[in-house]
Amino acid sequence: MTSHTTTPTEASRFRPFAFLTSNITGLVLLIALLATFYSMYATGFTSKFNLYTMGRVMAIDIVIGFAMMVVLVTGGLNLAVGAIGVAAAMFGGWAMESLGLHWGFGALLALAFGGVLGAINGLATVKTGVHSFVITLATMSVYFGAMIVLTEAEAFRALPKDFTVIGKTRYYGFVSALLPIALATGAILLVLFRYTALGRKIKAAGANPRAAELSGIAVGNTVVFCHCLSGVLAALAGLMLTARNGAALPSMAGHVGQDWLLPSFLAPVLGGTLLTGGTLSVVGTALGAILVSVITTGLLLMKFADFWLNLFLGLILLAAVLLDRVRSVYAARRQQMQVD
Amino acid sequence: MTVLAVSSVSKLFPGVRALDQASFDLQAGSIHALLGENGAGKSTLIKILTGVYTPEAGTLMVDGQTRKFATPRDALLAGISAVHQERNLISYFSAAENIMLESLPNARGMINFKQMHEQAAHWLESLNVGIDPRTPVSKLSVAQMQLVEIAKALAQQAHILLLDEPTASLTPHETTHLFELLRQLRDNGTALVFVSHKLEEVFELCDRVTVLRDGKNACQSQPLAELDRQQLVKLMIGREEQIPERPDTGRHSNDNPDSPALDVRNVDTLSGHRDISFSLKKGEILGLYGLVGSGRSEFAKALIGLDTITRGEIRLDSIPATIKDVRTALAQYRMGYVSEDRKSEGLILEHSITSNIAITIWDDLKNSLRLLGNRRETAAAQPHAQRLQVRTPSLQQQVGNLSGGNQQKVSVAKWLAARASVLIIDEPTVGIDINTKNYLHELIWQLASEGTAILLISSDMPEMTLLADRILIMNDFKLTGEVANTRDYESVSQAIMSTIHQQDTTLEQH
Ligand SMILES: Nc1ncnc2c1ncn2[C@@H]1O[C@H](COP(=O)(O)OP(=O)(O)OP(=O)(O)O)[C@@H](O)[C@H]1O
Ligand SMILES: [Mg+2]
Repeated sequence: MTSHTTTPTEASRFRPFAFLTSNITGLVLLIALLATFYSMYATGFTSKFNLYTMGRVMAIDIVIGFAMMVVLVTGGLNLAVGAIGVAAAMFGGWAMESLGLHWGFGALLALAFGGVLGAINGLATVKTGVHSFVITLATMSVYFGAMIVLTEAEAFRALPKDFTVIGKTRYYGFVSALLPIALATGAILLVLFRYTALGRKIKAAGANPRAAELSGIAVGNTVVFCHCLSGVLAALAGLMLTARNGAALPSMAGHVGQDWLLPSFLAPVLGGTLLTGGTLSVVGTALGAILVSVITTGLLLMKFADFWLNLFLGLILLAAVLLDRVRSVYAARRQQMQVD
Repeated sequence: MTVLAVSSVSKLFPGVRALDQASFDLQAGSIHALLGENGAGKSTLIKILTGVYTPEAGTLMVDGQTRKFATPRDALLAGISAVHQERNLISYFSAAENIMLESLPNARGMINFKQMHEQAAHWLESLNVGIDPRTPVSKLSVAQMQLVEIAKALAQQAHILLLDEPTASLTPHETTHLFELLRQLRDNGTALVFVSHKLEEVFELCDRVTVLRDGKNACQSQPLAELDRQQLVKLMIGREEQIPERPDTGRHSNDNPDSPALDVRNVDTLSGHRDISFSLKKGEILGLYGLVGSGRSEFAKALIGLDTITRGEIRLDSIPATIKDVRTALAQYRMGYVSEDRKSEGLILEHSITSNIAITIWDDLKNSLRLLGNRRETAAAQPHAQRLQVRTPSLQQQVGNLSGGNQQKVSVAKWLAARASVLIIDEPTVGIDINTKNYLHELIWQLASEGTAILLISSDMPEMTLLADRILIMNDFKLTGEVANTRDYESVSQAIMSTIHQQDTTLEQH
């Protein structure tokens, strides 16, 4: 029934965001189902070593997903996630190896460098008014090309042991040390988007820039901030990958960083972040990345070749988008049937 | 002759029974009023009749045949066209393209642009509005968009025409022309449904009435002559109307006549305002009136930094101010603007009611750790939602799911929360029902008596004469006069109209 007075108790009973929770339960169920399937049919899936290597992939995919998510919420895209990740990691490798800086300092510099590259994307988007799709398509090639020219496509292989050990550490024999890093990042993002004024402003600006501006929000600043944050997160993923490899390789995300594109979109889209901006789910993105890495690991164990993987992940992305449509139509139908 | 019969139609939304066995019937050559409070179910009914929503129960009969509309196109083919409450124009298309969208004149697949512009111009002329059909919709004001929307519905030449608050952002001037046209259509046998919260209009235009309350019929297809205003209001709200006492005793006692809160001196703007000067005192309500297209809202936007000021000076509290965006206006000068365009400028439809109300004060709501959770936000937003009687199953409801009037309440509530010292209010009561309108008027008085300086833009003449202390008249981007408000509706509205017309005649002499 409608009511004039609105009390907090009523608010807690009524849950318009139930579809998000259902999205999350759906992901959890799917992950559990797949894990069960693989543990029966993919030999070695439950071995401690496999769980550890899967955790490493998962951690990196989660952070890559976050890097895209924080730009999707503005209603934009960041195709340069991979290029920034590699460029920043190479920068960090150079700082640690050639400058001989402490690894912690080198890593901080790499994160800052990623932030700068991201901020350039953001500023270019805001100042020109061109969609970030075009801007980041261009900077993706620029960043990657410049990195290749400056490093002469040479890797940094003599990184400090204290740094590379992070990629090799495992707790209880099967938990990669990269996982807590990804989860801590997620926790920070969760606080940002749920418990800060800035996070709310970002979502408002993403959903309706004009109305946000007329409510006194500096929309341009939020866009630059999100691109900058995306750069930092991409750099973090690059560093994690470097630690895992034990070396900073120019080729570690493929040509112009394209290997990261599919996972970067898959995680947020599976997790319920809308491409139109204004709505995001940190937990959903993490779960989306977990789902993707479980699928990939299992398929690899079952000896499917790489191109099969890509084909499969592409299909999942399509399915995820379609499913979203189907779900909303189905929800509308069911609602009508309940009345009859 | 009954052309449309609606019987026992029901429609459910999550947490809301929007329509509960509602019925009415519509005759050819009649204008039928559909009335009810905000959220009563009027727009939902219109959307069912146009195939936007499918009802869970009930039947529709058009020209004696039972119909089920799956899409808006089906309804159109059955001869039903509508002006919806919310604007649905394609903003990067021209006015003509929007008007003729459903029936573009074409030959062998190619659009005949000349014919399209001629036909569109014909419909615009019939409404007596001077809009060039080639103008992109994005360049039009809210009222002009409303007129284009009406022209679009007229262009269908349907025999059933549904109008959901068509006059909401029009001034009496445009309304008069619209009504002439609607009467003509009626006399030619068209059946019309007219939704409005302005009862004067209803009595002027309509012959029969259906009232909805909480989705149910409070009365059904009754001749309007049998009812007076009091009875109608009682049907709508379920009890007698409360006429607010204007509590203006002592409102001016504490203000300082020498220091205007807002002083505008010889201002020109990029969009074409010339030599605008006025001053607004603390605790004063200054009206700004003009016809559609006279540049009122555009000037308000220039004040808060959305347009460039090319000459002149603005002083706030006697200090010269440069305002480059709304953020500066609000944070530095405590000046706020309630937009007339709630859908695209006022609200974030995908977000909750609480977020929409608290958006202007998020920075002030942070706790000692600089964090801001939902609980704090809700606590801050709730009193404002309650004060304006926002009708919803939950404050976490998405604003886009509220009825039009309730959306409007939220878009005003967020500026009540902001506690601005200078508040520009642009069409605050568009689409708001009589009862809440009274509350809102009281709130505006209260704000003024607490010292807020208010610049009120309203096309609603009774509202203007009720609220404003003085009324500035804007015509063609210039201020052309000032009318002291004696609170006598007849004399004040005549003074306003003659000031506007005086200008028109002098212009014609040039
Ligand atoms: N898409 C929707 N989802 C959920 N609830 C809805 C939706 N559309 C309308 N409602 C609810 O249905 C009820 C009736 O809404 P409707 O828009 O028909 O009211 P109305 O009589 O047109 O009011 P107003 O005078 O404010 O325009 C309201 O309580 C509204 O919140
Ligand atoms: Mg309505």
